[in-house]
Amino acid sequence: MKELFALASRQLRRKKLRVFLIVLGIAIGVAAVIGVTSLGEGIRVQAVEQIKASHDLTTIEVSAGIEAGSVTLITDSKLKAIETAEHVLFVAPYVRDSYVTQNNTYLAVMGVTPEYRQIHGNLQLEKGNWFSEKGNPGEIVLGYDVAKRLSIIEDLGLGDEFAVKIRLYGEEGRPKDKTAVFKIAGILKSSGDEHDNQVFVGIKEAMEMDEKDAYDGLFVKVDDPAFAASIRDRVEGLGLTAHSAQDVIDEVNKLMVAVTLVLGFFSGISLVVGALMVVNTMIISVYERTKEIGLSKALGASDFDIMKMFLAECVIIGAIGGIFGDLLGIGFSVLIDVVGKPFLVSALGGELGTGLQSGSITAVTPWILAAGFAISLVLSIVSGLYPARRAARLNPLDALRQI
Amino acid sequence: MTVETRDLTKYYWMGKEKVVALDRVTLKMEEGEFISVVGPSGSGKSTLLNIIGCLDAPTKGEVYLAGWKVDYRNKQSLVRLRRNFLGFVFQTFNLIPALNAVENVEYPMYFNKGGRSKSERRESAMKLLAMVGLEKRANHLPSELSGGELQRIAIARALANDPKLILADEPTGNLDSRTGKSILSLLKRLNEEEGKNIIMVTHDLESAKKMSRVIRILDGRIMSNEK
Repeated sequence: MKELFALASRQLRRKKLRVFLIVLGIAIGVAAVIGVTSLGEGIRVQAVEQIKASHDLTTIEVSAGIEAGSVTLITDSKLKAIETAEHVLFVAPYVRDSYVTQNNTYLAVMGVTPEYRQIHGNLQLEKGNWFSEKGNPGEIVLGYDVAKRLSIIEDLGLGDEFAVKIRLYGEEGRPKDKTAVFKIAGILKSSGDEHDNQVFVGIKEAMEMDEKDAYDGLFVKVDDPAFAASIRDRVEGLGLTAHSAQDVIDEVNKLMVAVTLVLGFFSGISLVVGALMVVNTMIISVYERTKEIGLSKALGASDFDIMKMFLAECVIIGAIGGIFGDLLGIGFSVLIDVVGKPFLVSALGGELGTGLQSGSITAVTPWILAAGFAISLVLSIVSGLYPARRAARLNPLDALRQI
Repeated sequence: MTVETRDLTKYYWMGKEKVVALDRVTLKMEEGEFISVVGPSGSGKSTLLNIIGCLDAPTKGEVYLAGWKVDYRNKQSLVRLRRNFLGFVFQTFNLIPALNAVENVEYPMYFNKGGRSKSERRESAMKLLAMVGLEKRANHLPSELSGGELQRIAIARALANDPKLILADEPTGNLDSRTGKSILSLLKRLNEEEGKNIIMVTHDLESAKKMSRVIRILDGRIMSNEK
């Protein structure tokens, strides 16, 4: 094997310029693919980092499972099953209801446990208190916008009591109204999300009001993002639906991988040119060395020996092309980063743009480099197959007669 | 090694015209013999050599090498015969330009290592070079050597795998007469001292007569076969 390559490199060294040109051709093709792929990869990494920075990957949102028309509710036993799983810190179940005041002001009610506030750290009190652990009966906390509305429309403030009504539908579909009186225990600062339009009561109280025995949703907090996936699987195994920021990351990954593949594929067209160069050069080489091939056969070389000799040359060309392609590809990706980043940052603007500014928009991974090398090698060998076969099949006598 | 041909016939088609290169050639060569095949251009002497050398296949007839019938349809067996039993010397030397003298001699051993290590192969190549008197030129490229030297190296190369039969196609055709004579005496020496069977195609009837049995060929037929 070593001798085979020694012989092949001897042959190649006789035509340095030609070999240099093919290697360059392949290397540019490989470098283009690496540059484009590293750009896709870099943007993917950046996007994922941004998602990770703004989302809590240790939180999983669970809702009732719907599959083939049947609904799996979050019952107490399911809650327990999730709560007792390894790596689960705590769960925060909630129920959603709608109440109306006597003046027909609609209230979106969340029945929550104290853990809910640990999940949503942005629920800060402006004044008053949260209801205590056990849920002081009759206490309610108002979201920022709700509090404003109630104070304007109904002149209600902290410490005031007011009656609400909930309409339930029994089994026969006959409506049944229940009323209760709540005291405003606290008012929240603006959170800037849907919580501003919600009111919060103790979960037990809410479930007594609506007479439900299942939760509308729940949040699961795990101790480490690494275990989020396994907990998710467990939740889904119970027949429930789970969402987490990982879904967004998965989507981004899927999208970027697809985009990168498409871009890589089209930049890979330049590789076809490189491959054709190899085919062309090797065919010329076979023509030039026809006599030598005939001679080798007369001296005892088999078809396979001849084929190996030509393929060994292709392997060397491919390997050198791969190495130079990788080096050139790293250069390309640096170039894209330096030249392309300011452009991309200004084009995207805003949060996305400034997010990109800190890091590099290209990422050359060992995997990309290995793929670049492998592509070059495989391409050269495949391109060499036809010329090598042609050489191997030459009739020794005809070949020897060639001038 | 004995060589025998029976009714060896070879046609070529030049367009629609049938060319008879060999016409029922039957000959026998004993162990250790030196045969010269003499004839004008186009008489079929090279064709005979190529068929015996397993480079070309006959249209009809058979060839027996050491008593074994050559199967011209079996490519692998032809490769094995060329590797193990045959050595070629050409009019145009045909050394590989990329390789130096000793590497050229070593080249056929690469296809027929026979358990020899690289250094062992190099050693026997050097011995063969010494035998043809060119050990000092071992590291020279073909482009740096004279015609006579190139043909000596080619003969050393023909001996690389210790063949039983050497086939030489006008080995002196591209050399001046003095150099040609030294090549012929080298071949004669190989025949006498090493016991190699040699079949040589040549134009030089006078030299051929002095050293070997001469077979004259004309229009693909053996005209005379004299000891």
